[in-house]
Amino acid sequence: MSNKAARNLFIFGSLFFFVIFLGMTYDTLGNLDKRAPEITDEVDAGKHVWHKYDCIGCHTIFGNGSYFAPELAKITEKKPKGYLKKFLMDPKAVNPAAAMPKFGITADEADKLLAFLDWSSKVDTNGWPPKPILAVAAGVAGQELSAGEKVYRAHGCSDCHIISGIGGTSGPDLTHVGAKRDRAWLIGHFKDPDDYVKDSAMPKVEAPEADIEKLADYMLTLK
Amino acid sequence: MTIKHESQKIAEYFYTFAVVLFLVQVLVGIIAAVQFIWPDFFILKFNIIRSLHINAMVVWLLVGFMGATYYVVPEESETDLWGLPLAKLQFWATAGTVTAVVLGYIWMGLNPQANSPIMGINPLNEGREYIEAPRWADILIVISVLTFIFVNFMTMMKTKKWTGIQGTLLGGLTFLALMYLPGLFYTKSMVKDQFWWWWVVHLWVEGAWEIIAGALLAFMLMKVVGARREVVEKWMYIEVGFVMFTGILGTGHHYYWIGTPGYWLWVGGIFSSLEPLPLLFMVWDAFRTTRSARNVTNRAGLFYTVAHAIFNFVGAGLWGVIHTLPQVNKWTHGTQITTAHGHLAFYGAYVLLVLSMIYITLPAIRGVKEFNASRAYQAFWWMTISMVFIVLTITGAGMVQTYMERLMGLDYVTVKATYNLWFWILRVIFGVGFLYGVWIFVVDFFKLGREPMPAVSAVPGEA
Repeated sequence: MSNKAARNLFIFGSLFFFVIFLGMTYDTLGNLDKRAPEITDEVDAGKHVWHKYDCIGCHTIFGNGSYFAPELAKITEKKPKGYLKKFLMDPKAVNPAAAMPKFGITADEADKLLAFLDWSSKVDTNGWPPKPILAVAAGVAGQELSAGEKVYRAHGCSDCHIISGIGGTSGPDLTHVGAKRDRAWLIGHFKDPDDYVKDSAMPKVEAPEADIEKLADYMLTLK
Repeated sequence: MTIKHESQKIAEYFYTFAVVLFLVQVLVGIIAAVQFIWPDFFILKFNIIRSLHINAMVVWLLVGFMGATYYVVPEESETDLWGLPLAKLQFWATAGTVTAVVLGYIWMGLNPQANSPIMGINPLNEGREYIEAPRWADILIVISVLTFIFVNFMTMMKTKKWTGIQGTLLGGLTFLALMYLPGLFYTKSMVKDQFWWWWVVHLWVEGAWEIIAGALLAFMLMKVVGARREVVEKWMYIEVGFVMFTGILGTGHHYYWIGTPGYWLWVGGIFSSLEPLPLLFMVWDAFRTTRSARNVTNRAGLFYTVAHAIFNFVGAGLWGVIHTLPQVNKWTHGTQITTAHGHLAFYGAYVLLVLSMIYITLPAIRGVKEFNASRAYQAFWWMTISMVFIVLTITGAGMVQTYMERLMGLDYVTVKATYNLWFWILRVIFGVGFLYGVWIFVVDFFKLGREPMPAVSAVPGEA
């Protein structure tokens, strides 16, 4: 191959692939709005808050970002909004182990940011992030659960709490909670966490009295 | 070896600024690594430190390319630079803008509210990874790059010697400038935001920058081993051509999970899987050219050049292809596997490239025929061994994270704070090793050609 032929291969080959890329870009841009909910003014305002605090300097969204803190695209599906709002405004007040600094995010900014993150949770991401296969398998083929464990699962308690290494780190570790709290405290706390723990960000457990008692009994087995 | 044209000396301004920023990048990198263990360590928190770490890197590599280009173009055009005072102004304006942006980040770290929008625009930080620089700085950067391209273009026009190397270099730089533009506007949708953002990030590092790398590699092979221009340029065209053929549609590997249509899984998966091939060509090319070399004038320069070709392939190629298929990426996307790839790819593809250019052109700029290369080799081994281990520890962390968080369903923070703790500790240790290597390099950069050569003929028996 002559030098000139090699040069032409480079130039025209690159242009060829770039034109295909432009065509796909055109098609993609026409499809994006169908794959995501409508962007309201509040969602847009929330995106501005996202940029103002450089959230991507630590977090990822749709898996892109800084890998230092949790992925946020679907965070509003995982944690109660009341908790997230309090956390955003003063992270260490609701979770002393939190690594996130207090930036001075206002209540209004937190609401907008959560509207934005609600939007991102509904974007069609081709099934990402995938459901953890081992956790899913354990849920299907796991051993017989006690009545209290079933309530614990049904209310998604493990999104925030850990028992024996499994669960989230937003709330306190419950592995030995039965050794620290009595039944009356637990039941009262489930009904109104704020009454028992000052500034608690935990939502009330909205369940029938019988379920709350079963949940408390389960907690008491954790010693 | 001396320079043929006085104006080539301007390269040293850019090299010096690049080298200082390299040191800053690695220093803040170690702070960031410690913050993985103690998030509250240091007055500036991780978001600011990380912005500094990646921005210092992008800027010092760009500034390094600029210095290298200002050296290469007069040599290829066989004439002095057109508009040297403009080039000097461009240097100082760039250095001033970069310093202002850095001070802005620090200010924001001390007072987050200082980034509150003024007329809808964040004055200190745009809050977009890699292109955090605020809008006013974006505009100044665009002006700087255009001035830089203009000066080089006018220099080429003086003699109109359109060599393949400088044509490719000019093409790569123009592509680079164009691909900065998609990052300059606001979109309401985070999906579109990331879609255009990848145009900048991917088409820079796996497009424009690789074209520049190909042109500089060709130049260096000619300089250090005296390879024939026709042969070197032909292979350069083929290499950068295949980088484009695979890399442009390879952008699709960033469009799997951000809300874009499913056909990108096919396009991205197929084309990005081919991306390592042109990088392998480059390794083969470097070895083939070197083997046929009769007289190597600058062994340290050649050493860095070949190392650049190898680690470009390993870091950008191999460490990229392991997680580029959608079937794999579904589990690894957004984990430390990406971080590991990023570190080795940038080190191999671009850090070693700029350092090779410095080792090949700086002796001529300083007007020395030979220099003591022992520090160059020491710096290389400290940096490279440390970087390989940094990458292995982060890869380990990424494998643990992928397994425990993505497959088992454990909480992100649990995995990071507990199961990956030792990886973070090891990473800091190797980071310090890397810093030591960088320090040796920085010392060498400032001393090269400015100290007396040790007696070469220390033959035993001679009194």
